[in-house]
Amino acid sequence: MTRQKVKMAFIENEFSRKATYKKRKRGILKKANELATLCGVPVGVIIDSPYDLTPEVWPSREDMDNVLSQWQRLPVMDRTKKMLNQESYLKQSISKATETCKKLTKENKELEMKEVMFDCLSGKTSPPRIEKSDLRGCGNVIEQYLRNLNRRIEILSKNDGASSSSVHAAATTSVAMPIVELGSSSTSFCDMIRQQQIQSNMNQNVRGLDLNQQQW
Amino acid sequence: MVRKSKGRQKIEMVKMKNENNLQVTFSKRRTGLFKKASELCTLCGAEIVVIVFSPGKKVFSFGHPNVDCVIDRFANINPPNPRQHTDMQLSEARRNAIVRDLNNHLTQVTEEFEIEKKRTEDLKQKRKNSNMPENWWEEPIEELNLSQLTEFKCGLEKLRKTVTTEASKNFQAIVPRHNFYGGSSNNSTFGICDDHAGNIDTDLDLYNHQRMVARNTFACNLNNMMVPYHITTPFGNIGNSNIIEGFTPEYNQNPNKLCFKQEHMSECDHHSAHPPRFGHGYY
Repeated sequence: MTRQKVKMAFIENEFSRKATYKKRKRGILKKANELATLCGVPVGVIIDSPYDLTPEVWPSREDMDNVLSQWQRLPVMDRTKKMLNQESYLKQSISKATETCKKLTKENKELEMKEVMFDCLSGKTSPPRIEKSDLRGCGNVIEQYLRNLNRRIEILSKNDGASSSSVHAAATTSVAMPIVELGSSSTSFCDMIRQQQIQSNMNQNVRGLDLNQQQW
Repeated sequence: MVRKSKGRQKIEMVKMKNENNLQVTFSKRRTGLFKKASELCTLCGAEIVVIVFSPGKKVFSFGHPNVDCVIDRFANINPPNPRQHTDMQLSEARRNAIVRDLNNHLTQVTEEFEIEKKRTEDLKQKRKNSNMPENWWEEPIEELNLSQLTEFKCGLEKLRKTVTTEASKNFQAIVPRHNFYGGSSNNSTFGICDDHAGNIDTDLDLYNHQRMVARNTFACNLNNMMVPYHITTPFGNIGNSNIIEGFTPEYNQNPNKLCFKQEHMSECDHHSAHPPRFGHGYY
């Protein structure tokens, strides 16, 4: 449901303003009612404007008087601690929103760097080609990933004992892992894995051949 | 589509049963109510006061122009006197200007937030779509077995080396050999503003770091007034002018407290209270 975004400024057109006022006032009172009912708490609202002969009071004059006497019974400090006007309320909102936004930006950057990391591993790109400003971020993500990997390795090795070195047949070989130097060469992690797969397939074929020979 | 949360479901208009939910609901709805009140004031110029008692007996209030003023008028305590009127008009004008700016600021931040949210969606979608089954390492860590994990670890460690080498290539600034971040000693080739969780500080990028290095270079060389002729930055050799142009050292009595006029105050200046801690693992 897309509506037109309302510009948060005084409405110049008198008729629109009056109409908006009536609608929004109704809305506020409804929300106040919901808050009071759902949470079982005292709520009092006073709204005054040039469009009303007398100020609108909710829930009722008597209830409002009760709320006000409860209010006045409180020490001044308690009253003012959480008191807001537009200025203070908006400042609060802005700082909350800015913080959430910053957090999200950071998370997005991490997601992006993770992609860069995967691209390096699969050979789509390589460190010399990474944007210079991204290098550190990428490094941090790699660091973080390694930390998680190590933690996971620790967990698995502890629980393990003998059973789980059950190797994923397709992915690895039974031979000791060839340590390929990535260094300056363009061999990526991905190529290295594929080489191993080819290697393991070759080994299996060789064994197959032997069997055939034995049959002779 | 599986519903992840209870949002946007109809709820009964009776007092909530679950204490925790009640508290959360109170918080959220109170904020929402105040938001609506603020909007009403901005859009229609109404005066309003909302008083709310929390389940914990604390009181929250919102008022425009301010809580006490509206309450007083309502209770007819202080009839406004004519002399106050002009004063009130002036302060009202000033208030409105402030609020207008704040509203604009809030709108701007909200828009930025929406943009970031969309970016998250796009990134997550991209990850979903780019699933190549032979790249098993792109699966979540929990789904890998021990040998895969070890292999992955090996490959990642190598990648880390090359990334580090690349990064250190970019730094050839003239750096004094002794401490230049007053207090912290380090031999790292570059500083990392990194908290222990290894999170990225997006504020501190390489360019700003370069300026921090140059600034501290000035600090150390103050007495000799030695100006480095030549600073190599990550963006190639910039001669004398570009880096130094941005710096107009103002010397005051205390030579230790140099203040530099910088054209673009970077966000990293906020971090000057804590000298950057240098992350481990960069060798």
